[in-house]
Amino acid sequence: MKTPFSAYLEGIAPGAKRLVKCLKERYEYVSILCTDSVGFRAMASQRQVSVTGETMTTERGCVVRVYRDGLYSEYAFDRFDPSRPEETARELCEVLDRQLALLKRSGTAIYPTGLMEDGPAEVRAFFETGTLPEECDIPALIGRLTALSGLGMKEGRDMVDVRATLQSTHISKMFLTENRDMRQSYVYSEGTIVPLAVRDGKTVHTYAGVSGRCGPELADQMEEKVFESVRTLEDLLKAESVEPGEYDVITSPEVTGLIAHEAFGHGVEMDMFVKNRALGREHIGKRVGSDLVTMHEGALCAQSVTGYAFDDEGTPAGDVTEIDHGILKTGICDALSALRLGTKPTGNGKRENFEHKVYTRMTNTLFDSGTSTLEEMIASIRHGYYLVGMESGMEDPKHWGIQCIVERGYEIRDGKLTGKVVAPLVMTGYVPDLLGSVSMLSSDREVFGTGGCGKGYKEWVKVADGGPCLKCRARLG
Amino acid sequence: MRMDILDTVLRQVREIGADDWEITDTLEDGWEFYFIRHALDQNRAKKVRHLRVTLYKKIDGGAFLGSAGGEIPVTSTPGESQKLLRTFLSRAEYVRNPYYDLNGPREAQTDGIAAEADVEKTAEDFLRAMESVREDENAFVNSYEIFTSRVEKRFVNSRGIDVRYAYPSSMLETVVNARNREREIEMYRMIKGGSCDGEEVRRCVEESMAAGLDRLGARPTPALGRCPVIFTGEDAAELFNYFAFLLNAGSRYRGTSRQELGKDVVEGAQGDRITLRGLGYLPNSSGNRAFDPEGAPVRDIDLIREGRAVSYWGSRAFSRYLGLEDSFIISNFGVSGGTARREELFEGTCLEAAAFSDFQVDPVTGDMAGEIRLGYLYRNGERIPVTGGSVSGNLRKLAAHMRMTKEERQYDSVRIPCCTRLEDVTVAGCE
Repeated sequence: MKTPFSAYLEGIAPGAKRLVKCLKERYEYVSILCTDSVGFRAMASQRQVSVTGETMTTERGCVVRVYRDGLYSEYAFDRFDPSRPEETARELCEVLDRQLALLKRSGTAIYPTGLMEDGPAEVRAFFETGTLPEECDIPALIGRLTALSGLGMKEGRDMVDVRATLQSTHISKMFLTENRDMRQSYVYSEGTIVPLAVRDGKTVHTYAGVSGRCGPELADQMEEKVFESVRTLEDLLKAESVEPGEYDVITSPEVTGLIAHEAFGHGVEMDMFVKNRALGREHIGKRVGSDLVTMHEGALCAQSVTGYAFDDEGTPAGDVTEIDHGILKTGICDALSALRLGTKPTGNGKRENFEHKVYTRMTNTLFDSGTSTLEEMIASIRHGYYLVGMESGMEDPKHWGIQCIVERGYEIRDGKLTGKVVAPLVMTGYVPDLLGSVSMLSSDREVFGTGGCGKGYKEWVKVADGGPCLKCRARLG
Repeated sequence: MRMDILDTVLRQVREIGADDWEITDTLEDGWEFYFIRHALDQNRAKKVRHLRVTLYKKIDGGAFLGSAGGEIPVTSTPGESQKLLRTFLSRAEYVRNPYYDLNGPREAQTDGIAAEADVEKTAEDFLRAMESVREDENAFVNSYEIFTSRVEKRFVNSRGIDVRYAYPSSMLETVVNARNREREIEMYRMIKGGSCDGEEVRRCVEESMAAGLDRLGARPTPALGRCPVIFTGEDAAELFNYFAFLLNAGSRYRGTSRQELGKDVVEGAQGDRITLRGLGYLPNSSGNRAFDPEGAPVRDIDLIREGRAVSYWGSRAFSRYLGLEDSFIISNFGVSGGTARREELFEGTCLEAAAFSDFQVDPVTGDMAGEIRLGYLYRNGERIPVTGGSVSGNLRKLAAHMRMTKEERQYDSVRIPCCTRLEDVTVAGCE
């Protein structure tokens, strides 16, 4: 079925349009983003059960963007009476005028920016979905999650607990300007299994997840993740420390995604180009990877947790080829940064929620597949590791450094897995060196969307990433 | 006259048939300023209100206590809020957790905790502090973001608690550059607090620029194998979060911590014996509150005394499951127990880890790792700036030989030793 659009947003739309009209008398550009997203998060383990009506992206509120004299300003609010938009307009003008008075007192200069285009657009994008989160049978789901937890306890040895979590969010967003009326709704869901075990004084835990632009029926795919995560625990329990050094490695699709996201993706977010904070700017048109490396980014690239129709600035979703056979073609861009750089926005202007500013943010960041099999890739390595499971990463676009914390590595010697496991691993290096060393890619591809992404240490948004298995050279510690 | 949403929801929760309930009403008035160099990129204001409700239902005659909740949008009609509350209540009936009593009213120590919360003044103080930073062509501010807000909370529950408090909260994100003829590098810093301490802001930003200049001339970190590492920056707080996690009632109840009270937190400790306290107040901390989020009064409390676990801390539910009556959620922590002078910790060949890309300690396993953005190698009487490579190890084991300075430094809501030394840390180089 088509995901229904929020009745609340339908109801305030006429008032929001009047607010835009009212503010247009004072400002050269006015837009309003209105959001109403509902959902739930349910968790069951052997020791605790919880249900909440909040997820990372549930929200209801509005944010107005206005432009005058080269400056963009915003006002976020959640109390809006659509029958009296003039009141909100007055509040907005009063608070922004107070800010401008302060800036004048402190002698602050403005970073001048041009006027944003406001070509006509009418969008109604209501994506297909299964069950809606608000219609999910929560008691039945709790029973199911409890059973998955019990299954993990039964399957594993020395188990302390297994947490099974499912969350689902029904997103509704409306973007209005004088000439645009864009509305979208979709549902995305995530399920995770997190087992914990203790053996001989050693505590280990892991997670396995599933996600997609679908409803809570995603729970159907969680059982296999119980078996997968319990197997992983056994590997972690016997893991040793790695001897620090540079190795030939094969990255699993999940680790490939981490590289795509942290090592490369952040480096071509073009709001960083405006601030001269990204080395990528100097490499457009130049080689940054081996000929085998092609990478795409965009909300249209996959039907994932971030597969929307338009971004939070009313720019249609895109599919950008960032790297084509090793050559850096372009980055991704929000609308204001595009104005400043004299380029076109790519549909990557995202907010944590209506209360937060727009930044250039990733959506689906994916390596293209190759032609090899995993077996061929393993057979090609004399001594190295097959890296599996991502824990975290941190961007460093100014210097194109990498920090990826990988859960575990399986030793390869003379073209065969030896059974030895090393964990955890910190993979560091220089992005062009890493991408330049890619010598094989597998023919399959997976997309992962259970995580969130911060810009620096804040501004959390949903993203997805992935790709095939990569063979490359990396430094492990 | 239209009723305020809180009055409506209060009336509804009293009538809906819940055995207990809690409501948190949060109003936030925030100002934000974004800069590229010192030119204003964008200004923002926000005025938002969040009303969160949890409903409780006794199950099996009170053997279990179910709970469920969520946010009631402040634009909800009475019909919408009633529908949401019914949904929460029906969900609560299936959430079978062991029974516990909610917090009841108790007096809080409020002296000295109330702080000025004027967003306009705080914003102006930040603007002036950033303008006063000393820069030159080799080290300068690249960009910064100022966030200031005044938060006002009211917590009401079915056991008679009705408390209100307000506090300031601020954050400054700075990126500074250092450059020479060959290249330009950056250093990142996030400064959090209550309001703006202009002197501290200037000091932190100028420290970042000095670190940037050092990083500019830094050599690739050599492969040191296992060697002593001294943690000197804000990242060191992550080491002590591990100990706070060990004593968290939720961690203990869930089995992610196996720490027992009365026992040492570090097996076979031969270094300094750590003391960890929850603090009701720290100067200009963004964590200063008279009450915790569940309405319990906040005070100073010892969690670890000279290396020995003395108390758990945490939310009401998990504290009651562990049999604690008087516990609460801590927002400020203090670490002490260091016996060394700074220079004593830098003896022999060692690496000072001054800044990481993102230093992390897994609180469950104790595994720690981080890429080195700036370090200093102390060898043969020299102090050599280094960058790249990583440190890793397991804090559970490494803490046995942990040494700390007596001198302490505060980073927002934590006060920790200025320097913490661990032996036998794995240092992967990048030469």
